[in-house]
Amino acid sequence: MKKMSKYFMLMSSAALLAACGNGESDSDTASNGETESAASDEVTVWVQYSEESAEGQVMVESIEEFNETNEQGITAVVEYIPRSGSGGGYEDKINAALTTSSLPDVITLDGPNTAAYANSQIIQPLDEYLSDTEDFLPSIIEQGTYNDELYSVGYSESGVGFFYNRTMLEEAGVDLETLPTVENPWTWDEFNGLLDTLATNHDGPVLNMGFDDQSEWLLYAFSPYVWSAGGEITNEAGTEAVGYFDSEETVSAFDFIQNLVEEGYSTITPVEKGFHTGEYPLYMSGSWTMQELNNEYEDIDYGIMPYPVSPETNELVSPTGSWAYGMTSSTDKPEAAGALIEFLTSEQELYDMSMGNSVLPARQSVADRMLEEVEEPMQVLIEQNSKTGRARPTLINYPQVSRTFQETVTESTYFEQNQDLESLLETKAQEIETHLE
Amino acid sequence: MKNVKGIFRGFTGVRPKARSTIQSSALKENATGFLFLLPALIVLGLFLFIPAMMSLYYSFTDYYMLTPDLTEFIGLENFRTLLSDATFRTSVGNIFQFVLFIMPIQVGTALGLALLVNRSRRGTMFYKIAYFSPVVMSLVVVSVLWLYILNPASGLLNEILQTIGLPAQPFLSSPNQAMYVIIFVSAWQGAGYQMLIFLAGLQNIPEEVYEASTIDGANKWQQFLNVTLPMLKPTSLLILTTTLIDAFKLIIQPMVMTQGGPLNSTLTPVYYIFRTGFTDRQIGFASALTVMYGGIIIIFTVLQRKFVGGDKNE
Amino acid sequence: MNNKTTSFLYHFLSILLAILFIFPLIWMLVSSMKPEAAIYSDMGSLEAFLPSMNVSEWLMPYREIFNRFNIIRYLGNSIFYALSVTAGSIIINSLAGYAFATIDFKGKKLLFGLMIALLVIPGETIIITKFVITERLGILNTPLAVILPLLATPLYIYMFTIFFRAISTELQEAAMLEGATKFKIYWKIMLPMSKPAIATVGTLSFIMSWNDYIWPLMVLTDSETYPLQVAITNINNTQPVYTNQVMAILTISTIPLILIYVFFQKHLVQGLSSSGTGVK
Repeated sequence: MKKMSKYFMLMSSAALLAACGNGESDSDTASNGETESAASDEVTVWVQYSEESAEGQVMVESIEEFNETNEQGITAVVEYIPRSGSGGGYEDKINAALTTSSLPDVITLDGPNTAAYANSQIIQPLDEYLSDTEDFLPSIIEQGTYNDELYSVGYSESGVGFFYNRTMLEEAGVDLETLPTVENPWTWDEFNGLLDTLATNHDGPVLNMGFDDQSEWLLYAFSPYVWSAGGEITNEAGTEAVGYFDSEETVSAFDFIQNLVEEGYSTITPVEKGFHTGEYPLYMSGSWTMQELNNEYEDIDYGIMPYPVSPETNELVSPTGSWAYGMTSSTDKPEAAGALIEFLTSEQELYDMSMGNSVLPARQSVADRMLEEVEEPMQVLIEQNSKTGRARPTLINYPQVSRTFQETVTESTYFEQNQDLESLLETKAQEIETHLE
Repeated sequence: MKNVKGIFRGFTGVRPKARSTIQSSALKENATGFLFLLPALIVLGLFLFIPAMMSLYYSFTDYYMLTPDLTEFIGLENFRTLLSDATFRTSVGNIFQFVLFIMPIQVGTALGLALLVNRSRRGTMFYKIAYFSPVVMSLVVVSVLWLYILNPASGLLNEILQTIGLPAQPFLSSPNQAMYVIIFVSAWQGAGYQMLIFLAGLQNIPEEVYEASTIDGANKWQQFLNVTLPMLKPTSLLILTTTLIDAFKLIIQPMVMTQGGPLNSTLTPVYYIFRTGFTDRQIGFASALTVMYGGIIIIFTVLQRKFVGGDKNE
Repeated sequence: MNNKTTSFLYHFLSILLAILFIFPLIWMLVSSMKPEAAIYSDMGSLEAFLPSMNVSEWLMPYREIFNRFNIIRYLGNSIFYALSVTAGSIIINSLAGYAFATIDFKGKKLLFGLMIALLVIPGETIIITKFVITERLGILNTPLAVILPLLATPLYIYMFTIFFRAISTELQEAAMLEGATKFKIYWKIMLPMSKPAIATVGTLSFIMSWNDYIWPLMVLTDSETYPLQVAITNINNTQPVYTNQVMAILTISTIPLILIYVFFQKHLVQGLSSSGTGVK
């Protein structure tokens, strides 16, 4: 036994040393970790989807084209690492690669990770490698900017609107011509008026807002209400939350949200695919729902309307966010990696990505081009996105802040226990502040 | 195979002695023992023991996932933070509630199922597949279906409750009920696994023992109490220990069905550790949580083995 | 009469329980055989447990999945990994269990205690450090990286120990007197007598390997070598998610598990039963 335990101690301490000192061991990991990118003109990219997905199919063609046409003789190689849920699997792989210094030259990352990755020097600024950055939507630039430098470029956008069932609205006596547009949005009060009309003609809740999805959705889709009211999650520098997240404006937004559940308009336990099957006339959801409806639920005649706005400000704000390209700090061929990112985020490539994948575009020029070609519901989302989209905050401890926000939404929907929203938000503002730098 | 029968002829119902009566030099026994263990030791050492030791080390550091190179030794700092961590305390409270209920429910169900299957003469294979199927089912299917059945507004279960005149229940959306739903679904899903192990144990009980007790005039119930249960003792101990440990490690069901909510009522320690380490990237602190929590599990496992009557031969 | 009533009650209870346990399996299977919209419109009625009335729709979700993914290749990879793990796990864990159960060596108590202590480690929490070791061993991107870590499991060693202990020592002693080596006793006597344990460990090992997702994804980079779970995750997480296709891929993934379970349970355990020993 003595021998055995000695052996174990030896092995484990060796491994410990190896793990702790891996900063200095780049030379030996490079030999087995990055064999593929050893050739001087080869650039490796990791992406979070599989080769067979719609994104993957577009990527295969893009890379083929890049390899044939680029003048520097660069060969790009893609490794497809499909994620689970919000990024599990793929992000685990990035994290593991960090401990062994075996990251590729280019990676994709979820937009809100930009601050943490940039602060930890996993990725480096892209400004000098990209020429045409003015054309990107403001939300793409906001999402990718940390300390005034552009660290990541989203290759598509996403957005949320209110899907409405035309038939059910007409049956309730709603004139579809009077529904709001991006130019003329409804205030929360007007929106509540519609809900009231629908509720009198309908048994049970009329709107699914995804309150049961206790995940990133709750910040992504609900923070625009806070912003529309003029509230904030933190100050601009991302250092304080007290005085912002518990402001009168923020409280008014959560009051609106709470009221939806309290009045019975929406529910914390919606029926799955309730909108698709004609159970609910209204559904707050993203662009992907259009594909589902078009492909599998053709009898549902639907349209999309924009977010309602705070009656105090009348300012329409809508959610945005996407996965983005970033260049690793460890790459030894930044020029080649930069050229690849420039190519992949060029107008034509982004157009192909957005059309091939039915997602919103990341560039204004692509948005203009797509508006001509897509159907009306998609037009609403593209228009809302490019005119009113706002990126989520860039914070190093974004996951913790996001979770606190999510908990705030959930707790406010338990209206009986949380009638005092002011004190709820005071507590939550303090909690968020502990996660700020 | 012929010889095998003979072995049980001499069965006395007494625990076999682990110690061989044949004298061989201690040295040779040591060498043989290690030789048999060697493959397992290598695998467990490399992929379980060393990683665990590394985690132990990390619990004394400020390891942030994205900057492994900047990791520094910070002594007991993490453990100090941990002591005032209210979320961790909540999660430990939740898991004790879970363990208290799941142990009798799941083990009892498993034993019941094993006895049922072992007794049936026809359709054994069908029952075995049925009871075991939740174990091989994807959690996606299982949770989607249960979420549907338990939906407070339109779910099947509330419809049944209302038909028989009971009020509709909020189930997973209620902080008071969510954990009980998780307990039920976990027991439902896991019982087939323990049933399989109980079955293996039951099938190891020689028929002769039952025959002997029948001759002595014992009825079925006496047989169960005086033959089956005592003979199942090693298997039961194995199942109690592993079910307890697995119960303490609960993560998937709350992760899929409630994301730890509502209001943290189904947040378990392992889920909290996972979230701290992987979502929040605080590997150092998560390691400290693991070490602390591992200690708690070990204490309870040892207590349980003492309580149930530990195995003297270990 | 009394006997008949008991028998009836017994069967009634068994069938009721069986339905309670098997209904998700049925639901998954029939849901993979209808258009997605039908899954949700049937929900709440008995039709939820019937496939589409239109037989030509039964295979549609499958056709779409086979078009989107190279299912055969993924399936082949998964089978290869799972069979390797199963065979290796039975041998390595039973060897160790045999040592703990019958050989008296120094430090046994301590090693056994340590092994039980290892049981409490949540696998999810050591995945990064495990990766570091795998990388140091230089086996990344090889099947070994997927298979090796699953070959020894404290729980299964513990199980073999318990079952080997329950086997009488007399035969072993007799064999020993005839000069058989420890290994021969293990191979010729102990293993053949532990079929229920082998069946159990075999089934569980196979399932464990089959459902493994994050680890293979971390240690493999070539998508040609990915297991089926990767395709499942992909279908389930790429918006839009079509429930009928999810059910189809899950059915494809569940059938081998049921088959392996039937194989191990029926052929191994009943093989023992027919020889008339130990099992009723």
